This record gives sequence, C-alpha cells and structure tokens, in this order.
Amino acid sequence: MRGIAWGLRSLGRQPLRTALSLAGIAVAAAMLLDMVMLSGGIDQSFSDLLLVRGYQLRLTPKGTLPFDTEATMTRASEVVAALRRDPDVEAAGAVLGTSLYARAADSLVTLFGFGVEPEAQGLYEVTAGRDLTWGDTAGIILSEPAARLLRAGVGDSVTLVGRLDPQVAAAAVGRRLAVRGMVRWLYDSRDQPSVGTVLPVMQRLSREPAEDRASLILVKARADERVPALAARLRAEFPAVEVNSAAELVVHFRQRLVYFRQLSYILGSMSLIVAVLLIATLLTIGVNERLGEIATLRAIGVSRATVVGQVLAEGTALTALGAALGILLGLVTARYLDAILTSFPGLPAAFSFFVPRAGTLSFAAIVLLVTGSLAGLYPAWLAARAPIAATLRAEAT
Amino acid sequence: MTTPIPLLNSLLLAAAVLPAPALAQLPAVSIERRLAQDLSLRVGDTIRLGTAPDSMGLVATVAAVYEPRPDPAEIAKVERHLRMHLPDLAVLLGAPDRVDRFGVGLVPGTAVDSAVAALERNAFGFRVYPSAAIAAESSETFLVVSRFHRAIAIITIVASAVFLLCIMLLKVEERRMDAAVMRFVGVRRRTIFGALLLEAALVAALGCVIGTGLALVAGAATNAYYRSFFDTALTFSLVTPGIVLFSVALSLALGLLAGAAAAWRLVRTRPMVLWGRG
Repeated sequence: MRGIAWGLRSLGRQPLRTALSLAGIAVAAAMLLDMVMLSGGIDQSFSDLLLVRGYQLRLTPKGTLPFDTEATMTRASEVVAALRRDPDVEAAGAVLGTSLYARAADSLVTLFGFGVEPEAQGLYEVTAGRDLTWGDTAGIILSEPAARLLRAGVGDSVTLVGRLDPQVAAAAVGRRLAVRGMVRWLYDSRDQPSVGTVLPVMQRLSREPAEDRASLILVKARADERVPALAARLRAEFPAVEVNSAAELVVHFRQRLVYFRQLSYILGSMSLIVAVLLIATLLTIGVNERLGEIATLRAIGVSRATVVGQVLAEGTALTALGAALGILLGLVTARYLDAILTSFPGLPAAFSFFVPRAGTLSFAAIVLLVTGSLAGLYPAWLAARAPIAATLRAEAT
Repeated sequence: MTTPIPLLNSLLLAAAVLPAPALAQLPAVSIERRLAQDLSLRVGDTIRLGTAPDSMGLVATVAAVYEPRPDPAEIAKVERHLRMHLPDLAVLLGAPDRVDRFGVGLVPGTAVDSAVAALERNAFGFRVYPSAAIAAESSETFLVVSRFHRAIAIITIVASAVFLLCIMLLKVEERRMDAAVMRFVGVRRRTIFGALLLEAALVAALGCVIGTGLALVAGAATNAYYRSFFDTALTFSLVTPGIVLFSVALSLALGLLAGAAAAWRLVRTRPMVLWGRG
C-alpha cells in the first residue's frame, strides 16, 4: 500500500507532464472505445433491427437478399399458406416492394410502395391512426416523409398510379385510397417516402396480379431454438427461394461492411499501442529522473517489491484516470462518427454503427487497464535493478 | 450441372455441359473474369440462363471474358456480372421492348438543363437525370466514407499532437543537468534555448522522415492486402505529396512548439534548482 501511495503522489509532482499524459491516454482510450463499439456495433444493431418484430426468417427470390434487387417470387400466397400450416411457424406474411407514383396537385410524385399482409407484418409500427386490416383494399398507410410529400393525413384520400405507359402517356392502373394511419417503416432510410397497402392492391399497382408476386416473405418461428431446423426444412421444401435467418443475414451484412470492421481492428490496435508507448515512456523517464530517490529508499530498507509496486501503481493510476476520461470523450466522438456513417444513402434510419453497451465499455476499459499496467513493467524493472551504492555516489557528486 | 449462382438483376446462371448445338445459333454473352473463375468457364463454353432455378431455359455461349472496370461501389458485393445483347435479355426476362434506362447524348452546345426540362415535359412516365446528378448521387457513399476518414484523421492528429507534446516535454526535461552546467559556466539563456529548440527540430525532422517511410510502407501493405482481399485493382491508400507535406509541416510545427515551450520553461528555472540543490 505504501508503494501505491508513493506512486500516486509522484504523479502530482509533475502536474503539467501528468496532465499531458492523461490527455494523450484519454484520446487513445476514446479511439479504442470507439473502435470496439464499431467492431461489435454493426452486428448488434443490424441483428436488433432484424428481430425488432420477432420475425426470425426471411424468404427471398433465389440468390438475393431482402430488397437487394427488384427480383420477386411468384405464387406467394401458396408459399405463405404452406408456411402457415407448418407447426413450427407462428406467423408468416408476404411483402411486395415496388416503385409507384401518386398524384399530387398537377404532377406525379415517386413513392416506394409496400404491399403487406397486415395480420402478419414485420416492417412497420403504427404511430398515428390505425393499421390496415385484412382485406382492406381501400386503405393506405403513410410514412411521415410520404405524408409530407402528398400533403395528406389520417382520413384524407390519395390517388396511387402504377404501370405508367409512355406510349399512351397514361397510367395503366390507378386507385384512390383512404389514409388509415401513419407508420414508421423499420427499414426505411431517412426521408424515404413509403406507403403501404394490402398485398393484392400493391400487386395490382405494380404488375399483373395473376402472377401473385412478392419480394419477401417474413416468417416468425414459435421458438428461437427451432429456427435453424425450420430454415433447413424450408430450404428443402422451397428450393426456388432463398431462406435466411436473421443470424445469416447479419453474416451477409458483415461481409458488406467488412472494411469498417477491419478498420476498427487496425485503429483500435494503434490506439492501444500509442497509449502503451506513452505510459511506458513517461514512467521510464520518471524512473530515470528519480534513480537517486529510489536508491535512497532502497538504502534505508525499502524493499524492491515496494519500489516496483510504486512504479506499477503510477502506470495503473495514469491508465485508470486516462481511461475514465477517454470513455467520456469516446462516447461523445462516437455520436459524431455515428452521425457521419449513418448518413450512408439507403441505410435504415434506425441503424447505428456505434452501439454503446455496458459490455463494450467494460471490455475497452479492461483491455486498456491491463495493457497500461503492463506498460509499467519495463520502468519497474529498471527501478528494481538500480545499483544502490553507485547511484548514491553519483548523486552525491 | 453446377448450382445456379445469382447475377445482377436476379438472373440465374448455371454452367452446363450440353450436347453441342450449332454455336452460331446460340445467343452470345460476355462474362466477367471472376464469374469465369467461379464456374471454370472459358470462351466457347455453353451456359444456361434463367430467372429462377426451375426455368433455366436460355442456352448461350460464352463469347468473351472481360475484366470489369474497378468500381468501389461493387467491391463488397458478391454479385457477378454478365453482358448480353438487349433483345436476348428481353426474351429471357419475358419483357420485350422494355429497358431500365436510356442514355442520351446531346448535340454539342445544347444546354443540359433545358434538354432535361424539355424531356421531363414531354415524356410521361420518365424521369430525366443529367449525368452530373447521377454521378453526384452515386458518389454520395464515398463522400460519407471520406467524411468518416477525415473525422478519424482529426482524432488521430489530436492524439499525435498530445503524444508529441509529451515526448518533447520529457526530452527537454532530460536536459536539466546539462542546462544547469551550461548556466554555471556562463552560457546565455538564449543560447541554451536555441540549442534545445534545434534539438527539438532535429528530433521532429527525424520523426517526420521515419513517419513518412512508415506511412509509405503501411500504405503499400494496405493496398496489397485489400487488393487481394477484394480481388480488385482499386487503390485504397494513397500517400500524395500534399498529404506528406501537410503531415511534415504539422509535425514540425507541433514539435517546435512543444520544444520551445519546454525549453522556455527550462531556461527560466534557476540553475541551482535545475541542479537539484535549489
């Protein structure tokens, strides 16, 4: 304990040096924390987003990921009916995504349309008004950006048109619909003007409804532990579609953002190296400056272990204080960096790259604390092997 | 037959060993190099194409293998590309006389904005975009990445600056005894200050040289790794003269500033205190 107290006191002897070192360690710790958050945050945030409504499986056209291309599956109703008969399936619903148009004043505005089965949907949450109901072919739900674009609210009517034909300068199909509610589409990017209708209405607006097309089928399993087995069974049962669990989609997404993951490893490692170098350099020079003092202490009977403890305590105290400051700084810079990265075009607005969690903060702090403490080993070794007589003689002259 | 693999826009392709029909009658396609590698295809091979695994109806012949132009937007995607004549694709998709977009070249001297406005007025069902607008839209992703890199660079510069200040302070502090002796023998403060500043400048300059060398090596390693990782010819790390100049200037300025601050502190201290007897 005596060594630790000396160690802490010696930090106070050089306030400017200690303050600068703390600032350096804090910046390095902040960077390390941000990179730890980035490396795990991408997976965590995407997984949370996929499972927000509890649908663990997505069925898409063969070889595609949800809404990655304009590909669609035919005979969607048959597939959904078969899925709903499966004893392991709690809910299943088809979704068709397509570009369509709405009349606003004397012009057409472009929207993104979702055809959904309201009784089994995992794409939105109602924020105002009410949800669509099964068979509600006269209703529509709007996102806030779509409502702004169309200048419509709950109870108003909007006219959607689809299949524009440039040859005759007319739309092949049009539909006047009543706004039932305002919704937040979970996977929409910022300011994406999206609308939703029941599936048959959207199929009619996009293509010939006889083909019964869907872009995606969402499946909710009765139990999470049954998901892998259910996915395997569905793959065998429906070879023409791609079956992906949330975990598998996370893997695909991780591959797309592999650059950021690797960057986080590299920058995190560099931050750690900078922090270690700073602590080691500072302590080494501090020990060299205090060799006379250390020799005196040893001469009057202070043990070698106490001297080593003093140097290690200095390193640990510096690291702990720097890490505490760094965590605060890291949380601020993470928000700034997250604001930059989440402005990627097309990225869901609810997605986050930097996810602060207790586990992440603890991990970064422990890694820094351990390596920072280890950085004191070399100067502690220097202090321990200082020749007492020679040092005292040199000091006296 | 191999497992069908997805192509852009939901086409499916499977390499097949087929009874050799008259190749001249088959539609010709050109495939990108990575696709040829994935399916061990060569020029002259026949393939089946379709929009679903159970409708791989179109038989085509590989007329060419091409290397796509390096595109940062494509590197993280696993899609493979194939080029075919428009009528063949229309038949395959069951969408005769349909296209996704037209490219329009204007007569030299025609104002782009007025051409866009005229087309928007007259062409129902079309959206008309100037090439510059499409380029701006498609480069948005890279602008975001660039902003992120810049933010990381700022944090790195702050960390490096603090590190440099610390090191310079410690370096000059190491010279306490030397400074004390020089003061005892009558060397002027200004001379000691100049000597310490010169030393700081030399240390900073040497650090700049080593740092530049490290940056070049790290840049080359980064490029080699990511080019191999993504199988692309793109350049990921570019150490330009401008970047080197900026970094060297910043490091020298910071080094001199830190050295000057520490030296000033040292020369203002009484010699006996520096000697440890004050």
